[in-house]
Parts: sequence; C-alpha cells; structure tokens
Amino acid sequence: MIDHRASPGLPDEAMNPNLPYRAGKGLLETSTYTCGHCPQIVMMNPLRTRERGYCRKCDHYICDRCSGILAATRECKPYKQVLDELQEAGLKLEKEIDRNG
Amino acid sequence: MAKRSLACRTYTPTAVADTAAITADVNGGIIQGGAATQRNKISEIMLGGQAGASAPTIMVAGMNSTAATSIVLGIAEDAPLDSATAALAAPAAVGTGFTIAPQRSATLGHILQLSFNAFGGIVRWLAAPGEEIGMVGLAVDTGSFSLSAFTGGTPGLMSSHIIYESL
Repeated sequence: MIDHRASPGLPDEAMNPNLPYRAGKGLLETSTYTCGHCPQIVMMNPLRTRERGYCRKCDHYICDRCSGILAATRECKPYKQVLDELQEAGLKLEKEIDRNG
Repeated sequence: MAKRSLACRTYTPTAVADTAAITADVNGGIIQGGAATQRNKISEIMLGGQAGASAPTIMVAGMNSTAATSIVLGIAEDAPLDSATAALAAPAAVGTGFTIAPQRSATLGHILQLSFNAFGGIVRWLAAPGEEIGMVGLAVDTGSFSLSAFTGGTPGLMSSHIIYESL
C-alpha cells in the first residue's frame, strides 16, 4: 500500500515509469509476490498483458530476470533451496570449527 | 520462533548510494542473523511520513554486500509482538548503529523499492504467508538486511518499523 491521500504525492520527475499509473499519487493498493528463485518482491501490475514468469518445477511465480534465466538454462533452483544449502554449509563449518578447536 | 518489531520513531534518513557506507542512526534498521545457521524472515515493513513539507524519499529495503559489525539499537526499539516470547540464545543483531557500516548491495539491495513523499505519505508492504523475505546466517547477500534511503529526492522526517521473525 502506498497512501498519499494526505500528501501531495511524489513529484512527476520522481515517479518511476515502471510503476503502475499514478502509483505516487493518491492511494495505491496492490498485491505482491516473492520470486521463487530469488528474494525479489514483485508488485503485480494490474495493467500487465505479458505472461508472468512461472516455474512449473517449483510451482511458483518468478520475476522477469529469473524467468529469462530459466528460459536460457532450464534449471530450477528455488531460493529456499539456496538458503537451505547455506544453512547446511554453516552447520558443517560450525562442526568443523568445534572438531578442530 | 517469535515475531519481533524493529521500530524507529522519528528520523530523517541520510541518502546513500549502493555499495556506500550506510550512515548510523539515520537509517530504518539493520537486521543480521545471530549465528551462521540462523534463519530470519521479514514479513512487514511500514513507513510513515512526518515531514512538514514535500519530501520525496527513496527508501530501499534489501540485502547488504558488506555486513555490519557490532550492531546496536541506536534510535531503534526492538520488541516482541507477543509478551510471552522467550529470549533466544543467539538473537538476531538488529538496530541502527554499528561499528563498521553495512553497504547496500547493488544487485540484491533493492528487494523492496519504497519511494514515497514523507509529507503525509504512508507505505506498507505486508508479505502474504510464505512470501516473506528469507534470510540465513549473518553473511553478505543472504544474512544482512537493511532499510535505508537511496540517493535522490529530499529525504524527510519519517518513522518506520520492520516485522521480522527469527526461526
């Protein structure tokens, strides 16, 4: 939610052209989703006509950048898996430090 | 396994570019894991404008490419949402102050772009269940998170809070 009803809103020169029309003026309430392959939050543009990035392997919407990577590599690596692997690596490191003093 | 709020009552954020040192006590807060294996989730960020004149403020939330050291609360307050919350052995390091300044990542530092006019504007991002920002550990890019102002505009007086959960 971006609420500028009690504010003049953002000046035109500060408006991001990628945001929905009048996003910096008045009240904008829109849904977002988190990309399945990276931590990026994506604001769902109600005026979007292009197909939204979607990974059938992990059954999750993905951002345009990851959609391009998926199209090129056909590899699905969910962000949760990345975090799991990092956590596992951290655990192994802690055990090694404990073993070696 | 408890949600906590990192809140800053009133401050004027200092704008900094990506990969530049974030200024202490004029940012919306830093969150870093308390251990190399700790998981944290960010589920809500809210900004409230308090400026007395037009103040386009480009707030950005995302990962840091340089982690902070010795984080202290500074101008922030950190409290559990549930008063029955038990203290963790290794709580996440949160606050607005630090010894070595974190630096926002140029690639993963703009997870949320929260531009608004601090002259009466309000921004609230609330994650749907399962759509929270995930963090692991305390290392750069995945375990060090910040809410700060990006260059441009004229940052104005504002408040903010971040709801996060250590798993």
